Amino acid sequence: MGSTFLNKLLLIAGFASLAHAAFSAAHHRTYLRLTEQEWNSLPLDLILQTVISLVVVVYNIIEVVGHFKEIRATVDMQQKTWDTLGNFPSFYSFNHRGRALNPGYTPPEKVQ
Amino acid sequence: MTLNYEEMSWSDVRDQFRKWREETGRHSEEVVQLWVAVLEDKVHKTGNERHLILEQVIIAALDTARFDIATKCTKQLSLEFPGSLRVMKFKAMRYEALEQYDEADEVLDAIIAKDETNAAPRKRKIAILKARGRRVEAIKELNDYLKKFMSDQEAWHELCSMYLAEGEYGKASFCMEEVLLHNPHSHLIHQRLAEIRYTMGGVENVEAARTYYSQALKLNPHNLRALYGLYLSCNFLANSKAVSSKRKESQKLAQWALEQVSSHTAKQSSIKNNEKLILSLEAALGNLEIKSN
Repeated sequence: MGSTFLNKLLLIAGFASLAHAAFSAAHHRTYLRLTEQEWNSLPLDLILQTVISLVVVVYNIIEVVGHFKEIRATVDMQQKTWDTLGNFPSFYSFNHRGRALNPGYTPPEKVQ
Repeated sequence: MTLNYEEMSWSDVRDQFRKWREETGRHSEEVVQLWVAVLEDKVHKTGNERHLILEQVIIAALDTARFDIATKCTKQLSLEFPGSLRVMKFKAMRYEALEQYDEADEVLDAIIAKDETNAAPRKRKIAILKARGRRVEAIKELNDYLKKFMSDQEAWHELCSMYLAEGEYGKASFCMEEVLLHNPHSHLIHQRLAEIRYTMGGVENVEAARTYYSQALKLNPHNLRALYGLYLSCNFLANSKAVSSKRKESQKLAQWALEQVSSHTAKQSSIKNNEKLILSLEAALGNLEIKSN
């Protein structure tokens, strides 16, 4: 549980950082337009921030959302046992000794 | 499995129930106990899963003859879904658990009359025949059912076990082959089919059994039962009147299976240094063998 909490925290931080990077990029362009400078590319720190926070977000989303399913078809099956595979809920029958589990159960009288 | 009811929160119980539902474990006694101890008061928190949980509890309650719980849950469901055929089925199941099979049959017939495509009540009718001990009739009904619902693998599986109970191995193996078509990756089905073939006996069948056992092992190398089955069928073939090259091959395969079994048991055993114990056991069993001379 502790690690998913950390992942959630990092995920929020990553999103915040990504939004911050977008905001900074917009801000940078307005600044360039106001100072009438030529626009070539984003400054390196903004690019780095975008890429790193994207990686952080992608990684943590995968950790938070759930576990991956095994891609090999047989691995899921290997865990199964005959106890569960040979059990069919739609064909259950109820006349078995389970009724003795009822607290109010009275055993039938012996037929002489 | 032992569960500490005091320390389980309702979400733990929900997850446990979900696990049992997904792997179709029966666990009726545990379900009823957990329901009474934990989940009964908290079931409204589970959202849409509530209905599935209620159904699960009804079946578990009927299984343990707790009619009070079953009736309560069925009432909750029928209040929410009045006139639902799915809820009506539980009424039939209640009759079934009370051994009032004729009434149960009537309810099920009414459901089928209303919705002919509904598979569940037809299956229940077969279950009733089985519960009454009329297995031959049940087999006939199930065959009719499978003519209409051919892709129902659960029914094929059930038919297979009924044929096995009747000793009709050839028909049982046909049903198992149908199940195998649905799950070609299941090592257990391969193993089961191999077991049926091995039981039928004869060189041809045992050879098929060996193939199926080998496939089961390919899908799951840790399947000890299949390893032992492979060993047995290879032993049979090695001692049969087959061509000598085939016999040699079988002997090799049997040897390999034996080695695999011993390495698996040595690896997974919780007893440390169990080789000595196994050796002494082998010696003891060897002494028991009846010598022909």
